[in-house]
Amino acid sequence: MTTTTPVGAPAPTGERPPVVSPRRRTGRRGPGPLFVLPFAVPFVLFLVWPVLQGIWMSFTDSSLALRDTSFVGLDNYAEAFGDPDVWSSLGNTVLFTAASSVPLVLVALAMALLVHSGLAGQWAWRLSFFVPYLLPVTVVTLIWTWLYQPDVGLGNELLGALGLEPVGWLSDESVAMWSVAALTVWWTVGFNFLLYLAALQSLPTVFDEAAALDGAGAWRRLWSVTLPQLRRTTVLVAMLQILASLKVFDQIYILTKGGPNGSTRPILEYVYDVGFTGYRLGYASAVSYVFFALVIVVSLAQLRLFRQED
Amino acid sequence: MSTTASPVRARRLPPRERPGAPMLLGHGRLPRVLAGTALVVLAAVWLLPLVWAVATSVQSEQDVAKPGLSPFKGAFTLDAYQQILERGNVTVWAANSFLVAGLVTLITVAISTLAAYGFSRGGFRGRRLLLTVTVAAVMVPPQLLVVPLFEQMLMFDLVDTYTAMILPQVVAPMMVFILKRFFDGVPRELEDAARLDGASEVRVFLSVVLPLSRPIVAAVSIFVFIGAWNNFMWPFIVTNDPGLMTLPVGLATVKDAFGIQYAQAMASALLAALPLVVVFLLFQRRIVSSVATTGLGGA
Amino acid sequence: MPGPGPAPGIGRRRLLRYGAAGASALLATGSLTGCSSRASASDASALNVWDLFQGGDGMLMDDMIRAVSKGSDGFDVDRTILDWGPSYYTKLAMSAAGGRASDVAVLHLSRLAGYAPGGLLDPFDLDLLAEFGVTEKHFTPAVWARTKHEGVVYAIPLDVHPFIVFYDRDAADRAGLLDTEGELAPMGSPKAMLEAGKALAEVTGKSGILFGHVTDTAQNWRQFAALYAQTGAAFTLPDGGPAEIDTDAAVQVVSFMQQLFDGRTNPNNLDYNSALAGFLGGRGGMAMLGEWELPTLRKSGIPLGAAPFPQVFGKPAVYTDSHSYVLPHQSSPDPARRRQAHRYVAEILKQSLTWASAGHIPAYQPVLAEPAYAKLDPQSSYADAGKVAVLDPPNWFAGAASNFQNRMCQPLQSALLGNTSAEKAVRQMVREANTLLRQPNPVA
Repeated sequence: MTTTTPVGAPAPTGERPPVVSPRRRTGRRGPGPLFVLPFAVPFVLFLVWPVLQGIWMSFTDSSLALRDTSFVGLDNYAEAFGDPDVWSSLGNTVLFTAASSVPLVLVALAMALLVHSGLAGQWAWRLSFFVPYLLPVTVVTLIWTWLYQPDVGLGNELLGALGLEPVGWLSDESVAMWSVAALTVWWTVGFNFLLYLAALQSLPTVFDEAAALDGAGAWRRLWSVTLPQLRRTTVLVAMLQILASLKVFDQIYILTKGGPNGSTRPILEYVYDVGFTGYRLGYASAVSYVFFALVIVVSLAQLRLFRQED
Repeated sequence: MSTTASPVRARRLPPRERPGAPMLLGHGRLPRVLAGTALVVLAAVWLLPLVWAVATSVQSEQDVAKPGLSPFKGAFTLDAYQQILERGNVTVWAANSFLVAGLVTLITVAISTLAAYGFSRGGFRGRRLLLTVTVAAVMVPPQLLVVPLFEQMLMFDLVDTYTAMILPQVVAPMMVFILKRFFDGVPRELEDAARLDGASEVRVFLSVVLPLSRPIVAAVSIFVFIGAWNNFMWPFIVTNDPGLMTLPVGLATVKDAFGIQYAQAMASALLAALPLVVVFLLFQRRIVSSVATTGLGGA
Repeated sequence: MPGPGPAPGIGRRRLLRYGAAGASALLATGSLTGCSSRASASDASALNVWDLFQGGDGMLMDDMIRAVSKGSDGFDVDRTILDWGPSYYTKLAMSAAGGRASDVAVLHLSRLAGYAPGGLLDPFDLDLLAEFGVTEKHFTPAVWARTKHEGVVYAIPLDVHPFIVFYDRDAADRAGLLDTEGELAPMGSPKAMLEAGKALAEVTGKSGILFGHVTDTAQNWRQFAALYAQTGAAFTLPDGGPAEIDTDAAVQVVSFMQQLFDGRTNPNNLDYNSALAGFLGGRGGMAMLGEWELPTLRKSGIPLGAAPFPQVFGKPAVYTDSHSYVLPHQSSPDPARRRQAHRYVAEILKQSLTWASAGHIPAYQPVLAEPAYAKLDPQSSYADAGKVAVLDPPNWFAGAASNFQNRMCQPLQSALLGNTSAEKAVRQMVREANTLLRQPNPVA
């Protein structure tokens, strides 16, 4: 990113031009509200309005079917808090977040450290680790559905070659969420990897060199010099990762549709199930806003944590 | 990055070490070998699914269904690709993806840069309020909005239209925020000079400010394009007509009379992966740097 | 220091201007015409059809569509196939709500209550259908009754696909279960079926009757619904009110199921695929399955017989569902296309002999009456099932691929596995039904 610092334009000395633009006369400089308007209109239409409308809908029994809507007050919220499926899907979401975020941070860090160590073939590593991130979710799920295929998929073929029993990657309730997490790590680690790489490349080498001069070995320097300097980045990466994981929908919906038996269904898919499959858009709105409250709480907590790191 | 030249140090540097790179590995052979092996293994693991997909896509369905660990079980054939392309769906969906992602990118970048510049420079009434709301909106996850947005599309009778797919996606408060931060850092002297010369605000923006902003606008454009191309949830919800679907949605929703055939599935997956991989190969440097700048704003 | 260059600025502006013009032109039209689509109203014969048929059924439907697309007045069909399951029904509902749905779609008849009352389907024009040779008298009353909502017809059945019994003809013969025509003799009482199971087990040396139900989300319900309907008791789930289920009859049915699948004569712990594989491998003389398994079973080389689910209690009843054609709601339907849609449905119905080769019973009686159908073996053996068809209760939450069936299966599975008593299982089923009834009805 380049920014040039131009030499200050010479201020006109002496006479000003006799005709002064009206804008100048009123003292108003600058682009004015018309520049913001093309953004403001869609912003209000497709963000502000839906947020407000969603709140309104959450107090009604709005339905996908074409029939009248009536006000139901807090019924939807009461139902949401007592709905075991809301809690189980929140639980699934938290499990997914934990199962995927930890490797997504650690593996990315490992990759970045390895790549940063200057071995040959930089572009090859970058490509291998980052290309999956560019793939649309359907491509990823198609590939991994094939890998997880119970009879001839790579997963069970590998297990068979090692003499192990085949696993119901997507059909076994105790395994399915981990299968989803594995797919997610493969898919999105590249992003965190690049963040870590950028951070590593911007670290001052002074401390590392000083420690080397003092005779510290590679591991020691990694542990005591490099990693501490990466703490802020790690907090950032973890924060982004956790927030993104809470909002998971696409890959789980396509891969397992929340199954088997709802064991992988995240909260956003429950919103979809209740609102679109079950027609109850009003109730789905209420569940959405309960989820939104959770996201806000997590965001604020993370922001505070991040500020403390400064 | 600096290295203090010291004859002692220079002698101990392994010849291949790049100057300025932190000496993470130290000077022994073992750490290098270990790290190199780890890197190769990791890269191999990461490439394996794609290699598997490619191998599957160029064999026949019967061969692919045979058990065995090797990915190559039969003769090379492009039948799967041929069948996918003959069926025609994938080409329609690809065209839709280009159209939707292209328009979303164009519109988003246009209105976001205009707005960011306006926020950065303008002293108009309500600027502070609108800016605060915009920044706060960054915390609103788009998935939250699908229910009321769908309801809105029902109200406007826009379900199953391109408009419904594209317009909600052009609202990118994060990009406005990033661009505004950039504009804040650009000194105003040039603009003021142009204004003094009598240029209109639009002229100032287009002729003075935008050329300075090429790198960040490029970064934002690429990021938005990738996001729009890969966007699944909203296009999935608002389009039911297969003629409208984008690639990710079509591939996930529309099935074959035969049932799932893995060679064709892999062929369609790879075809769908191709455009963005090509984009990546062309714009590698930009993409990598854009992740660092825009990505830090939130995934 | 970079000076302001006019070229880039103008270039960008021009690009934006042309881009905006092109975009608005495109947005005004409909979808890109890759496959034939609704965009061309002049091409009134292009029809969009949605279904959920894959595998053997999917190929047969392709054959039928090809047959009606031939000739000078053949159709130009744009067929879209989605996965069987809740996702199909969700997309159907959403497209109908949006008013730009396909011209024709397939719907399980048991699902009608979730669509017609909510305005998600448009009614059929019976006069138009009659013009093309399809009227009420071409369907059995049991099935026709389920096509209506408030007296208006919203669905035209293509088939009836009941839950039946397949049996090994040789084994059944040696067990003395066949009548003089070589078909399965009527049973008429619970005892008769229990004896039949024992006889078959002796003859095969393995098991008598195979039934897969573990982790299945429908099988147990199918079995229960068939037997319960045979007792003549009503299973009514009135909106909002408590479920009206005859618990005595229900307990009688569940106890019988437990007796029948005792784990000795007949296994009680099979899942769907194991039961199928068991029957294919000769480890049981009879299997209780949906008729759609016919193509798979035929490949086994077993001398295959089939019969409607035997009558064990008071009246004959066979649990079934029906694939039917519906007109998803369109906000501004084109009359020419609607006419084509009616004609399409009629023509496909006339092709349904092809459909019967997958085991389905054509709902359109004239096809059923064709001599070619009588030759189909063993389909012709269970063709009468349509007359005593029993479907899911007409509630919005019930039907194929619904939560209702899944929830009903859970206590039944427990009962068959011996983990709970028949009384407790029935109480649980009633509780589940009431929970679903208490949910606000989003359709009415």
